[in-house]
Amino acid sequence: MSAPQKQEQLRRSVTPWGSYSWGYADVGADIFVALGLVFGAAAGATNVAFLFAGLVYVCVGLAYTELAAAYPVAGGGQYFVMRGLGDLPGFLAGWAVLLDFTIDITLFAWGTVGYLSHLPWLNGLDASGHPILHFWVIFALIAGLALLNVRGVRESSAFNGIVSAFDVVSELSILFFGFLFAFKPELLVHSMQFGWPTSFALMNGISLAIISFVGLESISHAAEETHRPASIVPRTSVALILTILIFALAYSNLALGMLPSHPVPLDASGHAQMFWHFLGTVGNQDKAVAVLASNIPLFGSIAALYVPVLGAVLLLISSNSGVFGSSRIAYSMSQFQLLPSLFERVHKKYKTPMVSILTFCGLAVIELVFAAFQGDKGYEFLGDLYAFGAAASYTLVFVALIALRLRDPLTPRAFKIPGNFKVKYRGEVCEIPLLGIVGFAGIFTILIFVLLTHQIGRIAGPSWLILGFLIYIVYRRKKGLPVFGSVRRDWTADQVKILRDAGELELMDELVQKLKVRGRTPGGAP
Amino acid sequence: MIVGGLEIDPAGAACAFATVAATVSVLYWMLHPPQSKADIAAKAAESQLRRTMATTIVVFSSEIRSEHMMVLAARLARGSKTELMAVYVIEVPFTLPTQAPMEDEDRVALDTLAAAQQIAKNHGVDVRTEILHHRFTTQAVLELAKRETADLIVIGSFREGGYSGAPLGRTIEAIAASAKCDVLIGVEGKHGTLLGEEFAQAGDDANANPTPNVT
Repeated sequence: MSAPQKQEQLRRSVTPWGSYSWGYADVGADIFVALGLVFGAAAGATNVAFLFAGLVYVCVGLAYTELAAAYPVAGGGQYFVMRGLGDLPGFLAGWAVLLDFTIDITLFAWGTVGYLSHLPWLNGLDASGHPILHFWVIFALIAGLALLNVRGVRESSAFNGIVSAFDVVSELSILFFGFLFAFKPELLVHSMQFGWPTSFALMNGISLAIISFVGLESISHAAEETHRPASIVPRTSVALILTILIFALAYSNLALGMLPSHPVPLDASGHAQMFWHFLGTVGNQDKAVAVLASNIPLFGSIAALYVPVLGAVLLLISSNSGVFGSSRIAYSMSQFQLLPSLFERVHKKYKTPMVSILTFCGLAVIELVFAAFQGDKGYEFLGDLYAFGAAASYTLVFVALIALRLRDPLTPRAFKIPGNFKVKYRGEVCEIPLLGIVGFAGIFTILIFVLLTHQIGRIAGPSWLILGFLIYIVYRRKKGLPVFGSVRRDWTADQVKILRDAGELELMDELVQKLKVRGRTPGGAP
Repeated sequence: MIVGGLEIDPAGAACAFATVAATVSVLYWMLHPPQSKADIAAKAAESQLRRTMATTIVVFSSEIRSEHMMVLAARLARGSKTELMAVYVIEVPFTLPTQAPMEDEDRVALDTLAAAQQIAKNHGVDVRTEILHHRFTTQAVLELAKRETADLIVIGSFREGGYSGAPLGRTIEAIAASAKCDVLIGVEGKHGTLLGEEFAQAGDDANANPTPNVT
């Protein structure tokens, strides 16, 4: 008798806090980047912009939660869309996510340098003061991350967990002491009346506010390594959604109604300005949370020392998740024959997807060069593209959610978006999620806002998708695969295997039972 | 309201506490998911093991090698309320009175129990030790288990390892058969391999001749 073969699988060792911190290390960093940008655009209506984007984000989060719990695989949005809508939409969703990940690398590396420049002894790194030094430091960070990822060094789950815990405590402290010592409700009302923006600026602000909520992909990616994902992932996702929403709304309202401990400097034209206006200026956009924290009475003197460092660490982790995430998505896409198998190649010695890592870090550097040419608007340029990628991929995820409810009603959903109505489709009773439709409308509106208000985003974003589409056509034709159609796959058998591998045996039994009742086998044959 | 020279707005204080309370509640809820069937079964097994190990006796003798099982018992006892006891049984031959001094055997027993104490110390647990002189090891262990109201008897492998009709050794099998509590037997190294081979051989024989001969 021969010895049983050992099968290599991802270890399911991620705990609830581990799963949360994977997402938090990505999404938690967003507020450090977005706060200043949204204040720069939406001014006195920043809290409204965050509220609108936040409500859409709740719907996005619930959609991701349902899908990640039902399909606990590493592909995230790209996988859900491919499964629900077919290969081409799956490719476009994955390609949009790839844009986000490459922007993530540059934007968050930029933010890392911005936060470090808030430290008194690192003022020289400031973008407006020393743009060339600023550029080279970001370049060095991206190159360093690429090298580390090629060597296979990645921040461990334990490190993520510790940094996330420290950051949650730190942000709660900022908000707690900020509200306690510096918040004046009448100032909030005054700021909203005095600083209410034009409709165009508000649309711009809303489209930028969605940046605060990008990164739910990380929890979906972690689902494949999470113990009992169908039970744990919905909890960690919902907790992440709520935590980030609380932080975003609390920060924006606090900043609008905050009486800072230091006098606010005059603006460029020598006029007095409100504190929130000061946060949204070009010089402070990339370090807004640190500026806010250092202006809280009493607590600010301590916060000024550690918040820039904490922000920089969190942003660097997030930048690294861009490197890791892009190579992982490209790997997954090439496995499903959406991208050339080149992206599946691993380094002989380090066993890492070197081609993917270097390709997407190279793209991140190109984006950095483009951003650097924008001068003071470089950070906003990256934010525009980030918002486009997020809105485009989230829009497709909503369509996939509804399509999967119709095309795959048998897969058990451990978590289901509340508020559904029933329809009959191909002989099966399916539930259509009302919140999914609302969320789709919301995110599509944001996508329209991005295209209307971001001069560069409306050209560069669609250009990225067109470029990807051309690559896709050439690759699929060369391989003799359908361009607009899909490769035949046995999704039912795959789903049984996914649930078995995930340890969700009760859900697997439920699915097999449903198939048996309908006279089908898990292999798909009647 | 003025605290430490700072004017605190009641609305600001309410927002401060509400933000912290909301976030902490969300995180608490997240970290306490409902238990699955597997979780409940695992917890029940844990608590059963704790009950099973409340009083544990590790048995040594000139024929029973239990050092590795002492390590296991010490590891299991760490962090729990287990009362651990190591006992060395010296079988007194019928040619001697039961209270006869047996200095050489006592010396070996002292060395063995000192090693057991060191193992326990290395794992941060306390252990009581005792040397018993008795005509039969089996009876000595069973009487001790009764006296101590033991929940678990831990025994290693039979020292000689030869096949004597009782694969684990007659003494060990007799303890396992007659004890009123749980018995954990650890068969190590060559002894275990031999047993495995014997079972495999038995299996092969059964396959080759599925109908047993009856005389």
